[in-house]
Amino acid sequence: MTVFLQSLISGILIGGVYALIGIGLTIIFGVMRVINFAHGDLLMVGMYLTYNLFTILGIDPFASIAITIPLMFLFGAFLQKIFINRMLGALPQNQILLTIGLGLIMSNTMMLAYTSDYKILTTEYSSSSITLAGISISTPLAISFLITAAITAALYWFLMKTDTGQAIRATAQDREAAQLMGINVRWMSILAFGLGASLAGTAGALISPTYYIFPQIGGTFTLKAFVITVLGGMGSIIGATLGGIIIGIAESFGAVYISSGWKDVVVFVLFLLVLLFKPAGLMGKSRM
Amino acid sequence: MIRKIAASFLMLSLATPAMASAASVKIGFINSITGPEAPIGENLTNGVTLAIEELKKKGIDVQLLKEDDTGKPQISMSAMEKLAGQGVAGVVGPYTSACANAVAKLAEKYKVPLLVPAAAKEEITRQGLKYVYRLNAPADKYASSLIDAALSMGKPKSIAFIYENTDFGTSTVKTAKEYVAKKGIKIVADESYSKGSPDYRSTLTKIKAQNPELVFMVSYVADAILLMRQSREIGLQPQAFLGGGAGFTTVQFAKETAISNNVFSTTQWTDDVSWPGAKEFFNRYKSKFGKEPTYHAACAYQAMLIMGETAAKGGGDREKTKAALKSGSWKGIMGDVKFEDYEGFTNQNKHQMLVMQIQNGQFETVFPTNFASKKPVYPFPKWK
Repeated sequence: MTVFLQSLISGILIGGVYALIGIGLTIIFGVMRVINFAHGDLLMVGMYLTYNLFTILGIDPFASIAITIPLMFLFGAFLQKIFINRMLGALPQNQILLTIGLGLIMSNTMMLAYTSDYKILTTEYSSSSITLAGISISTPLAISFLITAAITAALYWFLMKTDTGQAIRATAQDREAAQLMGINVRWMSILAFGLGASLAGTAGALISPTYYIFPQIGGTFTLKAFVITVLGGMGSIIGATLGGIIIGIAESFGAVYISSGWKDVVVFVLFLLVLLFKPAGLMGKSRM
Repeated sequence: MIRKIAASFLMLSLATPAMASAASVKIGFINSITGPEAPIGENLTNGVTLAIEELKKKGIDVQLLKEDDTGKPQISMSAMEKLAGQGVAGVVGPYTSACANAVAKLAEKYKVPLLVPAAAKEEITRQGLKYVYRLNAPADKYASSLIDAALSMGKPKSIAFIYENTDFGTSTVKTAKEYVAKKGIKIVADESYSKGSPDYRSTLTKIKAQNPELVFMVSYVADAILLMRQSREIGLQPQAFLGGGAGFTTVQFAKETAISNNVFSTTQWTDDVSWPGAKEFFNRYKSKFGKEPTYHAACAYQAMLIMGETAAKGGGDREKTKAALKSGSWKGIMGDVKFEDYEGFTNQNKHQMLVMQIQNGQFETVFPTNFASKKPVYPFPKWK
């Protein structure tokens, strides 16, 4: 029973961070119909940002998201305005090549600047845990889960209640109709990419106290984000949240009840099953 | 037109000096320069760089053809094919077991002497290949030397394995399992994982429930730190943590003293060992590259020295180089080197593994006793 609860809680906590990565990708896809293959690399940039803020300025990784969010937003907005925007009408494969290329440039720039060495952020609480009824909960993961929950709630409120949020959703539902209604879709795209990048960067900041940082880390997370987004339904924020947590739990249970080597198989079998019975993903298509 | 002709003359004049120096010998070097294995690959590259300098001092001018395999066997194989076509006298590398194993068969096919510096998978030198030589000790020695050390310190009855599901991980653990079975230790958990996942807590919880006396881990750098951190988090408390090579032997791991202290690991090389030139190599490496070398650097250094000397003596001829590798013996920073056939191995150097323990952030050699610098701490102290 302890093992069951322990793996359930580990799964949910790590799933929270996955959700954050997935939400970023899903917003970008929803608004622009561009699959951002540089998403994991944006996360990696966020990690290095956090790492530098911590080692040079001594800012706690969790506090540093206050700086990471706006910086990554600007970075994302810049990428959108300069590169992605020109490709919005292009063939999907060209868009994919562009984002993959951007990702490669980011990871290799980081490799030039920081070498390929693994960086580990060690804070006082990096390996501390709270024990509740025999179940240990990792302190940094618990904190990052709370922050993730808060950010997701704020984002949901933003998209549902504010005018800008509604404009973003309208663009996601029908770009042309939105434009006809007088919504500045270019601006919405920049906003969406900025949001997506800052969410990826935040996810990077949140896992850096418990994970390791190196320039090639992006690929793993791009794949994960992709699975989460498709599982939840592309373009759906609730879907991505749900998808993230499901993947987290599936990995955790897969590792405990089958074998850690097989946990990715568990994830992908689950993924295929969902696609088989609900091809549009758990939460249907492009409703935000 | 004139410009074009002038340009081609210029090209020729640039190309000739390289061709003119007949004393130079072409040697290939396949390594993981980029990709996930790059952090360790860098050590090999640096070791080779120092070896080339050393060879130059001895009057051997090596023309090094570097190939990056990004840690992928298929890229490694095409690199080997390319090098074979470029007329190298021999090849040093690749780093990872999977790549080295793939390349070994090609070396045999093209009759290019291959000297593997640091890949541990046993099979590499166990398939009767005549052109494949290995400097480092194979994976079975990693496991047996650690378990022997544990047995000489206490009476462990149970062991749990957690390892990366790559060639290196599975082959190390496979031999470890055979070895503990012989010694009468019970295997209570056997968990392989795919590297790069941020969360091993569930697997470790499963292991903790079995309460093993020894925990044997095989991982590369970053996972080693993660596994130990999360072991501490969930309170996994065996008599000893045994780290099978790679990630547990890096300076970076040792620096994380909160989680790395008292972990045992085994290595091919340390700087405090009494093999000739070990300390000097360490100092030279540190002053040149600004960081401390891992055993990979030492292996690559020694391998390139051997290959360079042998190939130069043979005048760049592959058959002569192969014969000289087989008959020669060397003494250097890796101790005595001789490529022998024994217990099913061919052209395998009988390298002495060293068992270390991290004490106060420093690697201290604790076994075998004639090389030991400190006494081992056993059992593993309670987590703070």
